[in-house]
Formats: sequence, structure tokens, C-alpha cells
Amino acid sequence: MQRKISRREFLGLLAAAGLSPLAASLARLWNRLQTAPSRAAPEGFSPQSPHRWVMVIDQGGCIGCNYCTYACLAVNDVRPDAPWNKLLIQAELAGGRIYLPQPCMHCEHPPCVSVCPVGATYRRPDGLVVMDYDRCIGCRYCMVACPYETRHFNWEQWDGPNPYVPDFGAPEVPRRSRGVVEKCTFCLQRIERGLALGLTPGVDREATPACVTECPVQARFFGDLNDPQSTVSRLLAERPSLRLREDLGTSPRVYYLTSLAGVPPTTPPERRP
Amino acid sequence: MWLRRHPYLLPWTALLLALLAVGGIAAFQVYSRGLVVTGMSDEVPWGLWIAVDLSAIGLGAGAFLLSAAIHLLRLRDFQPLGRVAVLVGLLGYTSAVLALLLDLGRPERFWHPLVFWNPHSVLWEITMCVVLYTGVLVLEFAPVVGQASWMKSRLPRLARLLQRGHALAPALALAGLFLSLLHQSSLGATYGVIPSRPLWGNPGTAVLFLAHAVAAGPALTLLATLGAERVLGREVVPLPTLLRLGRFVGIALAAYLYMRLWDILAMSYTHLPGRIEGLEMLTGGLLTGPFWIGEILLGGLIPAILLLIPRLRERPGILALSSFLTVAGLVVARWDVNLSSMFIRAGYIPGQTVAPLPSYRPTWVEWTTTAAILAYALLSYTWSLHLLPLFSQEQAQESAKLARRAFEPSAER
Repeated sequence: MQRKISRREFLGLLAAAGLSPLAASLARLWNRLQTAPSRAAPEGFSPQSPHRWVMVIDQGGCIGCNYCTYACLAVNDVRPDAPWNKLLIQAELAGGRIYLPQPCMHCEHPPCVSVCPVGATYRRPDGLVVMDYDRCIGCRYCMVACPYETRHFNWEQWDGPNPYVPDFGAPEVPRRSRGVVEKCTFCLQRIERGLALGLTPGVDREATPACVTECPVQARFFGDLNDPQSTVSRLLAERPSLRLREDLGTSPRVYYLTSLAGVPPTTPPERRP
Repeated sequence: MWLRRHPYLLPWTALLLALLAVGGIAAFQVYSRGLVVTGMSDEVPWGLWIAVDLSAIGLGAGAFLLSAAIHLLRLRDFQPLGRVAVLVGLLGYTSAVLALLLDLGRPERFWHPLVFWNPHSVLWEITMCVVLYTGVLVLEFAPVVGQASWMKSRLPRLARLLQRGHALAPALALAGLFLSLLHQSSLGATYGVIPSRPLWGNPGTAVLFLAHAVAAGPALTLLATLGAERVLGREVVPLPTLLRLGRFVGIALAAYLYMRLWDILAMSYTHLPGRIEGLEMLTGGLLTGPFWIGEILLGGLIPAILLLIPRLRERPGILALSSFLTVAGLVVARWDVNLSSMFIRAGYIPGQTVAPLPSYRPTWVEWTTTAAILAYALLSYTWSLHLLPLFSQEQAQESAKLARRAFEPSAER
């Protein structure tokens, strides 16, 4: 004869059945919270990367020609109305302008990464803050969180021709689809390919971000801050520099060398698309 | 039968269906062309739909509060409000999901947060809580469907299965309390954890959002009940019970306003870049009207006063009006929080305090879809009133007896 289960026993069994996966989930959650919000490193990357990629921009050298922006638009196949690299004007002085070219800051403590509900934007061990376009759900919280406005949403599908191809380069990455957020990657594709070929990002053109290689006045530098001999390490040791909104605690990886020798000339070179 | 007894039902349903149809056309625009059909931009990435999300979830808070009051605190006189509160909550949460499915750039990936976890994200936590709590609400509401006479006669086995959920009520109330206390406050933390949005970048937003939901959620339950009495033409919940809930709303609203006052006052002394600019926008700039008139005066002080003075509260018209004002006040407040956060952004060019003011104007697509979501909630509520046993007579009688005992203790003895 079957024993009847009392309501109390039934509820107890139900609670036990419900609690065991909950406990497992809580353990999983706890493990996740212990680790920094970065993803497992892709094949070939050690969790502790030997590299610390930074960009150094010399505001004293920048003439405002916008070639960095154009090169980025071509190489990363970016919509011209939402450039990954912006050229801002910091100040208009009597003798000319002080420019502020601005890519993604690739923050050490990126607000965008901690807010993303699906971990679609993540910080790689080498410090690059990148996007997984296949995972992004398009909630745009990262755009709300980014203090530097370097993120752009694909409000519609962009099928038109890229006016900066081929004058400023050829696309090296696929175009992003409608409905996802995109941003500057420090030309991740060049760095990865360059390292695989034994090149040095920041030294060899093929392994260096397009905005750096296309700058006609060498106002942008890229390299490894872990290498004391790199150009970026030496520049930051020799010259005063600043980072944008350090008070927010984001610790950006883009450094600006302030304009020392007064105001640069403002006549941009001729080539324009 | 009741279709003839309620002549309003046909034109009202037709109107709501028309709104749903227009919203459907607009939604088709969104899905075929992308979010370019909205007024949002890279500078203002969150607009009207996010305000709908925040409001709908906040106004659904009556469900967890009344479930907790009935099943955990054992306040049995609130029992006749339990079912309608759960239904209002369910409609609120499903409305939020509808708005979210429009707002996401890739709506077909809505399930990603459930699989790809980022526990550092408050939005992930909100998503998990909303999904789980919507499940709780469905389970809480299942017995009501199971008790419907047409269910019992046509699908007796399913009806019995659904009714079995009664036994789970205390456990569900506990789960609902736990989940709601988490996500109702983290909705505010969504803004509070963002340092680049200086106006709301403080931990107070989380507490404020929870406190406002605790006031306005039951206010919507109250409003829905008063509406039901009007439509059905009979008393469904004893007036003393409604008045008691109204008093609770008044106290909660006053508590919220007190915290809001200190939030605003404290804000004006921090001198954090952007905070003063944001405060000026609310108190003497772009959002002056919504803030002073909508949020503070009509949506806060007036309903709080009306509900806290017994002589005023006891007039049914006043009770309905102040519930409505409380509900509207929450909607305006959430619209203000979102919009001012989008507008007041920390500047990042050296020497720039705040970024240049962007502009945002919702397009017809956003307005009509919002109207359609509201129509969905109203339509579901209207038909539930007529098709489901939302109000039980026994519970109402017991509640009335309890209220009489509370008011006339000598008569019992």
C-alpha cells in the first residue's frame, strides 16, 4: 500500500528539489564574482599576457588633418557618421587649435565591461577591450556607461559603399550587423596577425593600428608598456602626459602628451576623399 | 449575457484593438528597418521604451507586497486584493518584456543573459530576477485561472492542476519578496552605478526606486480595484480594506518624498562635475515642468496629503484620484531619471564639465508602440475582470468581518 505524503513532506521535497540547482547556481555565481570580468583567453593567449598595449597621442604634433579617422573608417569598415576614432577640438586659441584625437580608451577598469548583461564586451588579458558581436543583444547599456562616448550602435543596416575605401585602406574586418554596438579595437586583427608573424606592434606597420600608421606627422604612437625600450614607454617616461577623466577611476590606456611648444600649425595637407 | 449587461465592452475593446493594430504596424517598422525609426541616437541611447520598462516593473510591485502581506505577514483582511494585485503585477512585467523586445537591437537574442552570465552587471541581475519573478507571478496566478467556471467545466483536469498551486502560495510569496527587493532597487542602481552620468551616479537611486515602487505599486492595485468596482457595478473589496491600503500608500509615498528631498539636498552640496548642471535641468531648466509639477507636486505631495488625512481619503473619488496621481508620479519620475541621465553626461575633453546637450524626441513609432503596450495591459485586465474570478465573495466577507472587528472591538466582546 502506498504511503500518503503529507503536505509538509511534499513542500519539503519540493523545496529540496528546488534548492539543489539553486545552490549549484549560487556556487557558480560566487566563482564568477571572484574572478575579474574578463573572458577565458582565446587559444594561444596565456591568461597573464606579457603585453600591455597603450596608445600615446602627441597633441603638440597633431595638425587636425583627420587622417587617423579616415584610415580607421576604411580599415575597420566603419560608418562615416559614427567613427570609432574622433577628432575633437580641445581649444581654439589665437594662433590656432589644439586637437584631441580620440579612439576608445581601452580602460583598465572599463565601465562598459562591468555593466554588459551578457559579457559581450570584455577585457582581454593584454588589456584590449573588445566586442563579441555574436553575443551582443543591443541593449546599449555599455553606451550609457562609457564616459568617453566611444561606442556606437548600428541603428540600421549599412549597405552603402565606404567612401574612404580604397583611398585610405581596405577593410580588414567584416561589417557589423544591425542591432549591435561597435567600437574601436586598437586594430586587434593587425596585432594578432602581427604577433603570429613575429612582428612587433607599434614598430612594424602591419602590426600597428591604422590610425597610428596613417598619421602623416607621427603624432600617434602604439606599443607595449611592459617593454621599457618601446617608444611609448620612453615617451611616457620623458614627457608629461595626461589621461582623460582619470578621476572616474577608469584608468585609460590612451595617454596624451600635452602641447608644449605652443600651438601647432592648422593647415591640413591636401589629400581628401 | 454580460456583453449586453456591459455596453461599454464592445467599443472599449474595439478602441484597444485599434491601438494594438497601430502599434503592430509601428513594431513592424522597428523589426524591418531597425531602431533608426526611433528618436534615439548614440548620445541618447535609452528613450521612451526604457521609461516604459522602468515604470511597468515599478508599478507591478503591488503583487509582491500584497502577496507578502497576505501569506507571510498573514494580514488576512488584504486577501480579497491578492488576486488582482498578482494580475496587475503580471501585466506590468509582461508589458516591460514587450517594451524590451522592441528596444533590444537583437530581440531574437533575448535569452542570452540567461546563458551568458555576467554577474557584475546589474542589468544581468535585473533580467534574471524579472524572468524568475514573471514565472512566480504565473504560478501565483494559475489557481485563479483554475477556478474560472469555464475552465472547470471545459478542462476540469487542467483546472484541478492549476488550483493545486494554492499550496505553493507562501513559498511563492517568499520568492517574490526576495526577487522583487533585489530587482526593484537595482532598476535604480542601473543609473546609480554609472559614474559618467553624474546626476544619478550615487547609491541612493537604488533605495529611491524601491521606495517609490513600494508606494506606487499598491496604488495601481488600488486603482485597478476601484476601476473593477465601477465596471462590475458592485463592491468587490470592502471599503475599509481599500482605505487601509490607501493609508499605506500615503505613508510610503511620504517616506519616499522625504528620501527624495534629502537626495536632492545632498546632491546640491557635492559639487561633483555635472551634478549641479543636472539639478539645474530638473529644478529650473528643461525638465522643470515634469519635475516640480509632475513628480513632486501632483505625483507626490498632493496624493500623499490626500491619502494621509482620513476625512479626505474616505471619499472614493479622492481615493481613486490620489492613487492615479501616485501612479502617474512614478511614471514621470522614471522618465525624468532616464532622460536627465541621458542629457547630463560627464564631459571628457579637458576643461569641459558636461558634454554638449543632446536632443531626443520620441517618434510616432515609439509613441504608438507605447500606447499599444498600455492597450495590451488594459485589454487583458478588462477581459480578465469578466472571465476570471478575480474577486472572491468569501474573501471579501471575511475581510469585512475582520475590518468590523478592528473598528468595533467592543461589539465582538
